[in-house]
Amino acid sequence: MRPIDLFDDYLNRELSAQDNADFETRLNTDEAFANAFEQHKTLIETLNRSEKRNAFKNKLKAIHTSAFGNDAKIISINSEEGFVKRYGKTVLVAASTAAIVVLSTVAAISPGVKQTNTDITNLGIIISASNNAVVEGIKEGNRQKPLPAPANLEGSAFALNNKGYIITSSHMVNGADSVFVQNSSLERTLTEVVLNDPKLDIAILKIVNADVVKTWDVPFTFSQKATDIGEKVYTLGYPRKDVIYGEGSLSSLSGYYNDTTMYQISIPVNPGNSGGPLLNDQGNVIGVIRGKITGAEATGFAIKSNEILKSISSITVDSVKAELLSQPKKQALKGLKRTEQIKRINPYVFNVLVYKKDA
Amino acid sequence: MSKNKVQYTENQFIDGLRTGNNEILNALYKKYYNIVLKFIVNNSGSQEAAQDIYQETIIVLYENVQKPGFELNCQLQTYIYSIAKRLWLKQLKKNSKTFLFKDADENEVVDVTEDVTAHESKEAELEKMNQSLAELGEPCATLIKDFYIQKLSMDEIAEKFGYTNADNAKNQKYKCLQRLKKSFFELLPVEQIERK
Repeated sequence: MRPIDLFDDYLNRELSAQDNADFETRLNTDEAFANAFEQHKTLIETLNRSEKRNAFKNKLKAIHTSAFGNDAKIISINSEEGFVKRYGKTVLVAASTAAIVVLSTVAAISPGVKQTNTDITNLGIIISASNNAVVEGIKEGNRQKPLPAPANLEGSAFALNNKGYIITSSHMVNGADSVFVQNSSLERTLTEVVLNDPKLDIAILKIVNADVVKTWDVPFTFSQKATDIGEKVYTLGYPRKDVIYGEGSLSSLSGYYNDTTMYQISIPVNPGNSGGPLLNDQGNVIGVIRGKITGAEATGFAIKSNEILKSISSITVDSVKAELLSQPKKQALKGLKRTEQIKRINPYVFNVLVYKKDA
Repeated sequence: MSKNKVQYTENQFIDGLRTGNNEILNALYKKYYNIVLKFIVNNSGSQEAAQDIYQETIIVLYENVQKPGFELNCQLQTYIYSIAKRLWLKQLKKNSKTFLFKDADENEVVDVTEDVTAHESKEAELEKMNQSLAELGEPCATLIKDFYIQKLSMDEIAEKFGYTNADNAKNQKYKCLQRLKKSFFELLPVEQIERK
């Protein structure tokens, strides 16, 4: 066994009792071995301390920005929106990179520029369709439970990982003044937009109050594997104040006008479903609900999970990227009955409330 | 948020910082920023510089309260101000600017030489680690962090990075760690290794 492997097994308490005793004897008798072990320990400890330090620094930066603001603002890539959010120039750069990646994906798949243009226009149709739908959802919501100030837009979102990051649709938060999330286990809480990728139509929010997410244990992860046509899929979302379940199967590996960043699904997408998770039988996230085409009632579209991971991976700020890519370790839902899966997923699916100044 | 109006005592600040209470860290950060900002801006610094120095100051404070038996012998404000001043003085010296401190009559200062020096050698070591990880590149850096920090198993790592099995992942981790070790210890001054 190579010394490093032995050191790691010892530190992780994975040696048998006998091997462990032999290891300790050797530490006491073999000076070179003991020195090498000390060096290994120093390296790993420093690694851990430096990660903790980096995390603490990021925390201070976040506190500073939320308390005293920052000259640099995050701007959505469609910069016609005067979007006053914080997170620094760096993320703006990152967001542009994301746009480039996505654009080139579209260009590579579509034969010719003309096709690309069509795609973009058509995406516009989808978005406006689901926006209208959302407005209907609000009217209904207001009747049931009046809020102090009704949101201008409502939709769905779900947890990306245990660090308080939440994923939703970009078209939900474009032009937002403030964005809140809530569900039956979480009281309305403020978020800030940390990434906005209008091309792919995803946005990532972060819950501002870190205490809220302390106990988070997100049970699903993003699937990186290819998904097959016909696979059973389901979604949870907030077309109303209560969470709504919808199930169906994967109809196509491409979306509207052969857009390969999306799946077509046979789930009727309800008003306000945009931004909700698309899950497979194992309870893994395979996409984010994007919208539907007006008139096609039993058809929805979802952005593929690997496209989202790709977009996040193109962020150039390593600390932000690492935070966002940090996935819950386990696949806690594998093998569970659907009803049981939903019970566990529910606390991590949110109703998004978007407020706009000028609306 | 309404909770920001809670007033904490200095002991509550220190305990909260020690135990990693986010709300208290938040309140502490807000409370003492202006005094440091004013000082830096009055002494040929920008707002950005003030932010950097202040955050480093909070890190020094944070490190110190973690030490067993830490006791503050002056007001918290005086301590924070003294650290910030010392850090800023060093930075100005490094940039070889001459200047005049304008704080003379305003604020009390305590000797924080030891705290700041200890912080700086620690910081150099951690910075070195960041640099070594950056040089290591991907996927090595993430793989190393996944194993040693996130504590992922070799099976999980194999799946995440697309290695055919746990043994292959382990070999990869071995190679990555060898490189990290070489880079980290090669560039680290000897006395810093021994200081530990």
